[in-house]
Amino acid sequence: MDQLQQLSGPIVVTLMLLFFGGSLYMSIRISRKRENADGYMTGGGKIGFGISAASMTATWIWASSMYASATSGFTYGISGPIHYGLWGALMILLIYPFGRRIRQVAPRAHTIAEVMFARHGRSSQLMLAGSNVLGSVISLTSNLIAGGALIDMLSPFTFTQGIIAIAAGVLLYTLWSGFRASVLTDFAQVVAMLGAVVIIIPVVFFAAGGPSLFETGAHNLTPQQQDFFSSDAFFNQGAPYIAAVLAYAIGNQTIAQRLFAVREDLIKKTFVTATVGYGATIIGVGMLGVLALYAGIQPLNDDVNNLIPQLAANYLPPVLLCVFFVMIIGSLSSTADADLTALASIMMADIYGQNIAGKKRANPQTMIWVGRITMIIATAAGLFFASSQFNILDLLVFVGALWGALVFPVISSFYWNRVTNLAFTAAVIAGLACFLPVRFEWIDLSGGLGIASDVLATIGIGVVLGLMAFGFFGRPVALVIGTVSTLAAAPFAIGFLHTYPVLSGSLVAYAASTIVCVALTIMNTTRRFDFALIKERTGDFDTRDGGPDASADAGVAGSSGPAELDDRLELANDGKDRA
Amino acid sequence: MTALLTLYVLIWPVIVLGVLAVIVRAFVKEWRQAKREGRSII
Repeated sequence: MDQLQQLSGPIVVTLMLLFFGGSLYMSIRISRKRENADGYMTGGGKIGFGISAASMTATWIWASSMYASATSGFTYGISGPIHYGLWGALMILLIYPFGRRIRQVAPRAHTIAEVMFARHGRSSQLMLAGSNVLGSVISLTSNLIAGGALIDMLSPFTFTQGIIAIAAGVLLYTLWSGFRASVLTDFAQVVAMLGAVVIIIPVVFFAAGGPSLFETGAHNLTPQQQDFFSSDAFFNQGAPYIAAVLAYAIGNQTIAQRLFAVREDLIKKTFVTATVGYGATIIGVGMLGVLALYAGIQPLNDDVNNLIPQLAANYLPPVLLCVFFVMIIGSLSSTADADLTALASIMMADIYGQNIAGKKRANPQTMIWVGRITMIIATAAGLFFASSQFNILDLLVFVGALWGALVFPVISSFYWNRVTNLAFTAAVIAGLACFLPVRFEWIDLSGGLGIASDVLATIGIGVVLGLMAFGFFGRPVALVIGTVSTLAAAPFAIGFLHTYPVLSGSLVAYAASTIVCVALTIMNTTRRFDFALIKERTGDFDTRDGGPDASADAGVAGSSGPAELDDRLELANDGKDRA
Repeated sequence: MTALLTLYVLIWPVIVLGVLAVIVRAFVKEWRQAKREGRSII
C-alpha cells in the first residue's frame, strides 16, 4: 500500500472552514465585549450537565489517545484496546470522589495550584503550576503534530501547512472568550467525534471482511495476541498506564478546570458519563488496530501512528473519509483548546493573580489579557516544537513522573490536616529523585539496587491501589487494600519489576513521595490546618457587574475582603514555612 | 468465538451512541431552559 486515497485540496479547505468557522460562530454567539475574568477561567462554576459531560469527554479524548489505542490493539491483540481505554476511562471515574472533596474545600477556585497556594504556600503551588504548564504545552504540541501528520497523509497539503491551519483555527475561536468558548465548542466537537465513531467502526469492520476476518486472519496473531488475559499486554501497556493516568488525572489542569466549572451537584453524573463515553470511544477506535492485525496490514513506513489514517483511507468511501477527517480534527481541537485555556488560567490565577499582582491588586481586565497573550505565546511555542520535530517523548515521561510524585502529596493535602509545605515539597523532590535513575536506567539495577527499586515499586503498587480505594471507601479500606496488595505483590514483584523500567519508574515515584510525605507529616505533631481557610483564600478575582456569577457569588470570596485575606494568607504561610 | 469477537468489536459504537444521546438530550434541555430564561447557556 504505497499510495493512500486522499481528499482533494478544496474539500479539505471546505471541511476546515466548516469546522473552525462553525466553532468560531459558536464562540462569537456567546462572546461579550467585556469578558469576566472568572468566566474566562472556569465559566463561572455553574455549568450544566450536557455541556460539562460533553466537554469532559471531548477533552479527555485526544488524537494521540485514538492513535495509541489502535497501536495497542495492533501490538497486543484483542486485549490491547482494553489495556489502553478501560484504564484511562476508570481514571476519570476514580478521580471524581477527589474532585468532590476539592470542590467542597475550594468551591470557587480556578486551578489546583491555586488551592495548593491556599493550603501550603508558593513552592507547592509553583511545582504544580510548572508541571501543568509543561504538560499542557506538550499536549498542545502533540495534538498539532497529529493534525499536521493527518493533513500531510490525507490531503495535498504539507505537515507545516496543516499545523499552522489547525493552530490558527483553534486559537481564533478560543482567544476572546477563553474557557466559555472551549466548553461550548466541545459540545459540537463531541457530537462530531462520537457520531463519526458510531459510523466508522462498523463500516471498517464489514469492509475489512466482517466476522469471517476472525477465521481467515487468526494465523496473523500470536497466542499472546489472541489471549484476552495477555500478560504481555498487561505488563507493557495496562500496568504502566494505570500508574500513569492516575497521575495524569490529578496533575492535568484541563481536568481540574472542568471540575471547578461544573455545577457542584453534577460532578458525579458528569464524570460517570465521561467515563463511559471516553472508554467506549477509545476502546472502539482501538478495535481498528485489532482489525488491522487480523487483516495482516502493515503500517505505512512501519509507523504505527499511520495505522488509523491508513485503514480509513483503505476502507472508507470518500464521504466517510471526510467524516473520519472531522473526527480526528475534532479530537485534537477539543484538547488543544482545553490546553490553551488551562495555560491561560494558570498564568492568570497562579502567576499574575497570586504571584505578580497579588490577589488584592489583581486587575480583572489585565488578567484577561494575560490569558489571551498566554494563548498566543503557547500556540507559537506549540508550533515551534511541532515544526522542529522536537522529541517530546522524554519530556512527556518526565512530566508524567512529576505528576506521579505529586499525586499522594496533593491528595493527602486535601484530607490530612497535618501535611505541611515542607512535607509536600520534600516528597515531590524525593519522588523525582528516585524516578529518574530507575526510569532512564542510569544505575545498574541487576544487583542490590534492583532489589531496592523493586521494594519501592512494590510499595508503589500498594499506594496506587490504596489511593484508588481511598476515594470511594475511605481510609480504613484504603489502608487494608494498600497493605494487602503490597504484601501480595511482593513475592512476585521483588526481583522482577525492575526489568520493566517504565512501570518501575512510575511506581517508585509514587512510593518515595508517599513515604517521605507520610514520614514528615507524622513528625509534625503541633500544627493543624483548618480546611475552611481554603474557601476563604480562593475565590473570584472579578466581581464586576456583568460577569457570569457576579451577583450570586460575590459573597464567597468577599467574606473577609480580598486585602485582609491576602495578608492573612501571607502571614499563615510565612508562619508555616518558618516552622 | 467468531460471534463473540464480532460482538466485542461492535458493542463499542452502540455504547457510544447511547452516551451521545444522553449528552445531546441534556444539552438541548439546558439550551431550551436558558432560552426561556433569556440568558446565555454558558
